[in-house]
Amino acid sequence: MGRRILFITTDQMRYDAIGANGGRVARTPVIDRLAAEGISYDRAQPTNVVCMPSRATMVTGQNVGTHGVWMNGVPLPSDSASVARVLGEAGYRTALIGKSHFEPLLDPFLRFDENIHAMRGETIGSHGFEHMELATHGAVGFNHYARYIQQNHPEVIGGFFQVLDRELEVSGLPGGDTGAPQIKVNPIDPEWYHTDWVARQTMAWLDSIGTDEDWFCWMSFPDPHHPWDPPASEMHRVNWRDLDLPENYIEDRAQREAVIDAKPRHWRKWYDGEVVSNYEAPARWVPATLTPDQIREVNAYAHVENELIDEAIGRVLAHLEAKGWGDDVDIVFTTDHGEFQGDFGFLFKGPYHVDALARLPLIWRPARSCTTNRDERVTRPVGLLDLAPTFCAIAGITPAEWMEGKPLPISDADAEARGFERSLVEWDSCQPDGTDVHLRSILRDDMLCTMYRPGTMHDGTEGELYDLVADPLQRVNLWDDPARQGVKADLLADLFDNLVESTMELRPQAPV
Amino acid sequence: MATSRSQVRIRRSADDVWAVLRDPMRIVEWFPGITGVSMEGDVRTIVMASGLPVNEDIVTIDDRLRRFQYRITGPLPVTFHLATMDVIDIGTVEAPESLLIYSTEIVPEPMSFVLDGATSTAIAELARIMDDHAEHHETGEHR
Repeated sequence: MGRRILFITTDQMRYDAIGANGGRVARTPVIDRLAAEGISYDRAQPTNVVCMPSRATMVTGQNVGTHGVWMNGVPLPSDSASVARVLGEAGYRTALIGKSHFEPLLDPFLRFDENIHAMRGETIGSHGFEHMELATHGAVGFNHYARYIQQNHPEVIGGFFQVLDRELEVSGLPGGDTGAPQIKVNPIDPEWYHTDWVARQTMAWLDSIGTDEDWFCWMSFPDPHHPWDPPASEMHRVNWRDLDLPENYIEDRAQREAVIDAKPRHWRKWYDGEVVSNYEAPARWVPATLTPDQIREVNAYAHVENELIDEAIGRVLAHLEAKGWGDDVDIVFTTDHGEFQGDFGFLFKGPYHVDALARLPLIWRPARSCTTNRDERVTRPVGLLDLAPTFCAIAGITPAEWMEGKPLPISDADAEARGFERSLVEWDSCQPDGTDVHLRSILRDDMLCTMYRPGTMHDGTEGELYDLVADPLQRVNLWDDPARQGVKADLLADLFDNLVESTMELRPQAPV
Repeated sequence: MATSRSQVRIRRSADDVWAVLRDPMRIVEWFPGITGVSMEGDVRTIVMASGLPVNEDIVTIDDRLRRFQYRITGPLPVTFHLATMDVIDIGTVEAPESLLIYSTEIVPEPMSFVLDGATSTAIAELARIMDDHAEHHETGEHR
């Protein structure tokens, strides 16, 4: 009998969303307790700031250039490398409940296993998992949660925000009190909402496991990813009118735009609505129109969603205790990427490698039965790349040779001894109108450096360089600062020494 | 308008490839994710694996150019669509080979995301099937 593993993910959650990382609005006592009992990572990054590439890294332990999922809409083959398969072969029972997004969600040709299984109502797993019950952000599509709603509560389907418009563009339809994009008052009973459903199905799967069996369960909440449409009955928790604006929202318009203008040109072009370089951002929404009250209201909805997630995790942890597994379960909590939520005057995400999108909450609460560090904060760079080998280490298995990360460190001293020096983030996008954008970033020595490869918007000379100690909000771009050229050259050389290059054709199989 | 193009080389004569492509009913043999097809006059209705039917006007079947064109007319939210498949002979009598080019013009642009990946996969599948046949012909096998 080994250590069981509960892997908890949210979708599009900011580093500062939880109390343990300084969040002051959403009450997240359960997650905060995990941090207090375990190890928190201050500088955890994804390999990519959209869902599919990031999730492919979690399950494979590989860089984007190796697993090949360079953007949403690009499938991870169902027989790909998978830590779930490795654990399964070692005798672990394995399940993923909630949002997987290893394969495109929107494919009317139904070419991908996860969609096929879900449409048939089967819980057969793919990508190495023996069991899957899938959910995404609403009640439509090829997933088990949509089937559950359609079969049991069809009257609530219209309560969710409709993400795509008639032209298949992502909708920016205004809602709420302020007319913020992608907000909707959703009258759904909280018990029927996907957050509760994910927790409930997780507990049901755990009930199917023998007391002496080892298991790896990925409980994957679709929230707080947009659209923001949590149960209306819970909105009393946070009054948007009471919220402060985010620290990195610059209220003075001229000042805000000056900061944006000092960044590569696609920042300003998106701000002005001239270009949308990420399909998931509403096609016709213009960030420059975003008001302070809209930011407050979006944040209020996100905070409520995060509180609901925290409470759902609490119910699952209580269930584990009741089953007698409380001391033998390692819990890892993280998300796939971040969200602007008002930083620099933006919402959503895109080709922007700043902390809003690339600094993630990551907590490892080792099983109580093992002796390791508690209430530890690791400041060295780590990544979601390191999760798969960490799961292997927890299970007492040597990480597979195709995994490209390392088991997470348990302290800064451990991180230093084992060479945790840098973290890399990538972005490639190619829109139907031909717009293509390509970023490569490195975080090292408290410096964040992003270079832009040639594309339709950049000529290959642009970039961003931030001193995270002097400028933690990344407002002062040092890319062209003569005094920083040596540091920049060193970071770029290190970036390319460690980058896994790929020769993939940039052709998605679906929009998302 | 979004435009896209996929191409594939097939180790079969252009006439062989064209014989498959020119028949609107044979699309179910080589296009993954299309599970049903019917014709009524010049209107083809395909059924996707999800159950979604798609109506298409067959615009061109040109045996001289080996060109096939069709338009999606509904119920997908398409305001303009034209797909063109051209089969070009690039081989010899001793080493037959053809080039299949599948081009699409479509409005609204996001529909390109839905169709482009599927068509590129489909012509790769067609090449695999026909190359497979070619190999079996070369080794004297027949299916």
